[in-house]
Amino acid sequence: MKRQNKKNNNFRLLAEELIDFGGHKGADEIEVTIYDGREFEVQARQGQVENLIQADSKYCSVRIFKDKRTASFSTSDLSRPALHSLIEKAVKRASQTQADEFSGLPEDPKYKVEELSLKLFDPALTELKPKEKIKLAAETEKIGLADRRITNSFGARLVTNELKTFLVNSNGFSGNYLQTYSSLSLGLQAGQGNQLVEDYWFSAARHFKDLASPKEIARKAINRTVRQLHPRQLKTQKVPVIFEPMMTSWLLSFLFHCLSGQAVYQKTSFLAGRLGEKIGNKNLTIIDNGLLPGKLGSRPFDAEGVPPQKTTVIEAGYLKHFLCNTYAGRKLGLSSTGNADGNGIGPNNFYLKRGTYSPDEIISSTRKGLLLTRTIGQGLNPVTGDISRGAFGLWIQDGRIAFPVSEITIAGNLGEILNSIEMIGSDLNFYSPVCGPTIKVAEMTVAGS
Amino acid sequence: MSNSVYQYPLRLDTSLLKKVLMDALSSGGDFADLFIEYRTSLSISMEEDLIKETDENLSMGLGIRVIKKERTGYAYTNDLDEEKLIEAARLAAAIAGTGKPPQKNIRFKPVKAKSQAVRVKNLATASSLAEKIDLVRRAYQSALNYERAIKKVQVTYRESTQHVWILNSEGLSIKDCRPMVKLAVRSLAEKSGRREAGYYGGGGRVGLEFFNQSLAPEAIGEESAREACLLLEAVEPPAGQWPVILSPGHSGVLVHEAVGHLLEADFIRKKTSIFWDKLGQQVASGQITIYDDPTIPGFRGSYNIDDEGTPAEKTLLVEKGSIRDFLYDKLSARLMEKKANGHGRREDFTNWPLPRMSNTYIARGEYSPGEIIKSVKKGFYVNHLSGGQVEDSGQFTFSISLGFLIENGRLTRPVKQATLIGNNLDILQKVEMVGSDLEFGLQTATCGKESQEVPVNDGCPTMKITRMTIGGQP
Repeated sequence: MKRQNKKNNNFRLLAEELIDFGGHKGADEIEVTIYDGREFEVQARQGQVENLIQADSKYCSVRIFKDKRTASFSTSDLSRPALHSLIEKAVKRASQTQADEFSGLPEDPKYKVEELSLKLFDPALTELKPKEKIKLAAETEKIGLADRRITNSFGARLVTNELKTFLVNSNGFSGNYLQTYSSLSLGLQAGQGNQLVEDYWFSAARHFKDLASPKEIARKAINRTVRQLHPRQLKTQKVPVIFEPMMTSWLLSFLFHCLSGQAVYQKTSFLAGRLGEKIGNKNLTIIDNGLLPGKLGSRPFDAEGVPPQKTTVIEAGYLKHFLCNTYAGRKLGLSSTGNADGNGIGPNNFYLKRGTYSPDEIISSTRKGLLLTRTIGQGLNPVTGDISRGAFGLWIQDGRIAFPVSEITIAGNLGEILNSIEMIGSDLNFYSPVCGPTIKVAEMTVAGS
Repeated sequence: MSNSVYQYPLRLDTSLLKKVLMDALSSGGDFADLFIEYRTSLSISMEEDLIKETDENLSMGLGIRVIKKERTGYAYTNDLDEEKLIEAARLAAAIAGTGKPPQKNIRFKPVKAKSQAVRVKNLATASSLAEKIDLVRRAYQSALNYERAIKKVQVTYRESTQHVWILNSEGLSIKDCRPMVKLAVRSLAEKSGRREAGYYGGGGRVGLEFFNQSLAPEAIGEESAREACLLLEAVEPPAGQWPVILSPGHSGVLVHEAVGHLLEADFIRKKTSIFWDKLGQQVASGQITIYDDPTIPGFRGSYNIDDEGTPAEKTLLVEKGSIRDFLYDKLSARLMEKKANGHGRREDFTNWPLPRMSNTYIARGEYSPGEIIKSVKKGFYVNHLSGGQVEDSGQFTFSISLGFLIENGRLTRPVKQATLIGNNLDILQKVEMVGSDLEFGLQTATCGKESQEVPVNDGCPTMKITRMTIGGQP
């Protein structure tokens, strides 16, 4: 514990020293982030440990501003000579970019989030022995392979991470926090010859006790894989499409992109200029909240030191907020919503508020339609909201799952989908930072033969 | 070429590295290697008439791998102190269990990469920032001036120089340097309330002279703007099954997804690929011959040695429809008792190598592109494939960012975003005509596998597929 404290101080001191150094070299403003991470990963396949990764890694990223001009760098070489040379070069590079009145560090944060209240760190996870981790992965795969219908395995993988983040800037902000992450997953294959199907399932959590059991993960992976066996093809038609929670997550990730302040000021989002308008039907409420204790997308401050908040992005169908970092906020005449991440703007916990229907009720309400279970490929166009993806699913007939379908595509437009979400499930689980319950969309084009 | 350009920038003592390798084998591993990487990159972005930001990255570290039969232990560190390296070696060693350390000492036999596919006269890193900013501005202006409908333009320039040093327990010690540049433009067109974006780019393992000699920044800007403007006029894709013609170049994504991935030896030895038992068998139309070639000079997917130090090799994968070979890394080659053929690649030192593609293409056929298009009465022409994905089962998709309708043997209206889906065994049989006009993609592609991204390129001639499912409006 003592050693840990000393190390903490060392990185904070290093960051402060770099801020001073940057100031001396001519930076008006400077921000230093240091990441100190530890990673463990084990994969069990066909009954043995196939891969084992262990690593410590450190990383430093710096932004500097001079005369409203910006330059940044990142490095895994944390030696003084490397850091000093990179700062000097960044100050020089800044003079070759152009002044941008919106650039610069955020204003002083209005409030401070208590790190401990967010429950981001689990000591139990850091104390878990490699042997126990290997056992969990091996057990998960064993249960998966024990099912007679399963013919092959992509392996079970257990990952644990521990990450300490330090952020210091020349406006006087100084913060750090510790977080843990773990995930357990299993990929399976079923079928024979040229008729193969595959799928996986996983659990991810910050706290070891929140991780699903090997049995639960394996059963889900088995079920998701074998339910696709002997698929049929479909005729091209327009039908209601039910999104399983994983698919709702996928749709929401696309929506997040379209709501990010960067896409909005660049006008590469179909939602640009529509703040305040009704863009979805009245049962639709979407929230970004970085303050939910223990959740995967929570943090006491974002990549610029701005504390996250609860932002109701869409309220009963009305577009209330775009999600911004400091720069996008200033560009749009809005404020940062605490969504800065290393590459621009990212989600905290971005989710669709749960509804009242059980997934079974949603399926039984559907005379004929598609239960969407997986998509592959790209096919998302934020400029228009158009969606076109390869898809897998289960065909619904008279309120029941009838047979699996494959070699189909789904097409639609996100703007239209938001207006035609007929039913929202009650099955909201925060298994990833972007998440939502089962939803039913009135109509999409399903293309087949 | 000045030698100093290619000097390995990290000083590490060979006797220490030998000790690290010996420690890596101390629990009885069959094989161990070190991958030492020092990579610098620079990016410049321009939007809203401003050179907004420049970003530099320095990534350095060492990855240690230990193999015992099918098992891999891996550790990496960016702290290159002796103590840290030894600790990492012991962590990686643990995979082997409780075996005995090696009897024999390792003796390094330094070799030089033979292939010259990746050699530039002047590294872009050595050129001035002003010169690069000028390229960015030229691309930006040409896109913006293309037509009044163009409202916003974003340009990104990226360069990187990766120095690798690979050493293994068989005594290999080899260094190489891999430069890369990329200039890409996204243009946004707006007319009567409708907005569309177009994309174009280029580069490769080349120096900045590429943009003066082979592909001007102006051409990149104009092409991206042209695509955005065409999309303004584009109609919805026709959903259902149609004859499909794939344009040369971009459509190489098809061979990458539908064939290439499933010939990667890890999927073969694990028997998850539908091709695992089909070596020598006819799986595609007799018109299809496929190569993977990392030795094409200057290409994005090229390298002199792979990330395990094996010399790059042009590999014939499919000959007239029959599978001739797989893509091997050392581990798969060892387990399958084959020779590694230079296809072990990794994203960086934090990852171990996997069998990967480099530049994958379908060899030219006999038909002229004109006669291929003429042969279709009603169908779909894929002009720009922007990406794809495949599963081990052979199910794959492609995303089309721009297509055309074919009516009575002629390309007519532009068609917007659509998705093609199919099963590879089925589609490969349905390749009816292969053109004589082999071209390659944009030199901007990246392929992802098990969360590792590596630069690749694909190519193909014009091709006709009898029927394929297209997603869109009915």
